[in-house]
Amino acid sequence: MATSDSLGQFEQLVLTAILTLRDDAYGVTIHSKVEELARPKPASLGAVYVTLDRLEDKGFVTSWLSDPTAERGGRAKRCYRLEALGERVLQESALTARRIWDSIAEVWGKDWAREWGKRWGKEAS
Amino acid sequence: MPSGPSKSAETIVGILTPPACREEVLGDLHERYRSPLQYGLDALGAVPLVILSRIRRTADPQVLVMQAFALYLSFLTAARFQDASLLQAQWGLLRLAIPAGITLFGLVLEDAYAVPGRRSPLRLVRGPIIGLGLALLSQGMLRSRNPQILLPGWVLFYGCAMSLLLSSAIRLLFPPITHGLLGVNAPAFWLKRGGSGIGETAQTCIQAIIIAAIVARAMMAAMSSGISPVTVRVAVIALVFGLVAYQLGKRT
Repeated sequence: MATSDSLGQFEQLVLTAILTLRDDAYGVTIHSKVEELARPKPASLGAVYVTLDRLEDKGFVTSWLSDPTAERGGRAKRCYRLEALGERVLQESALTARRIWDSIAEVWGKDWAREWGKRWGKEAS
Repeated sequence: MPSGPSKSAETIVGILTPPACREEVLGDLHERYRSPLQYGLDALGAVPLVILSRIRRTADPQVLVMQAFALYLSFLTAARFQDASLLQAQWGLLRLAIPAGITLFGLVLEDAYAVPGRRSPLRLVRGPIIGLGLALLSQGMLRSRNPQILLPGWVLFYGCAMSLLLSSAIRLLFPPITHGLLGVNAPAFWLKRGGSGIGETAQTCIQAIIIAAIVARAMMAAMSSGISPVTVRVAVIALVFGLVAYQLGKRT
């Protein structure tokens, strides 16, 4: 059963995006990063906003408004930062994903795992 | 190089977006602007979800259930005393639920579109007034299109008056979550918890008891045939205006 500390797949993506973007995590950049992480699946900007609100309510991230910029029509950004609780649940999720990967590789063999590893490496580059 | 969305497009999106998240949503959409069509599609995809998310954050399910109960009870009571045949009629109980449901919808929207941090003297009565305004508007629309599910005028009048009284009393006891400041550097969950006090002070408890006693007395008086309907009408109207005046005076 899902608890308030458990993460959905999209929440994992958003938290990972915030983690990797560090000080530059706000709506547009988070959405771009999530799209990159989720490909080939599309991710809507609205879904990112909803998830950010939910993560903030759970205490996984905090937000603040930055100074307005001209490229945004003189409007401020809402920047996000990962909190300690968010880092902890993201680590747990990553460990779970790792265990899933290891279990699959154990059943389908090391050759399969190596082939997929290469494919991901090409995709990343 | 695209310059940016048109003023009119930004104004429309700005009006539709709840004020609590207007700044960042408009800024993000501006930054992503490539063409008017792309801007429109972006706004169409983002704004409804932003509204829903804001409603989720500002609506307290327990208080909403209480509000729904109070609103329906108001129209039910009004029907009982003004036109009891309505309760026996086909779809009678459902007809009473229409204005109650629309008022509840108005309350939810008012909370979602409230400006965080702004303390208005009208805050507690504005939601019920907007909700009841929408309910009256819907009844006006039904009059021309579907008059058979329209509520009789006096039932609607007393239902609205009672709704305003009870709904304001509930909002007095359980203040809307939007009172909490958003945008400060703290998890919204804590702000949410901080904003929803459940009548901590003795003063609030006394106010609740007085309001409940007045409402109960009015209902009991109406049930007994000794008091004329005119007196009850005057008492209900006086109560509503008294409550509104008290809240205005207290908060200014």
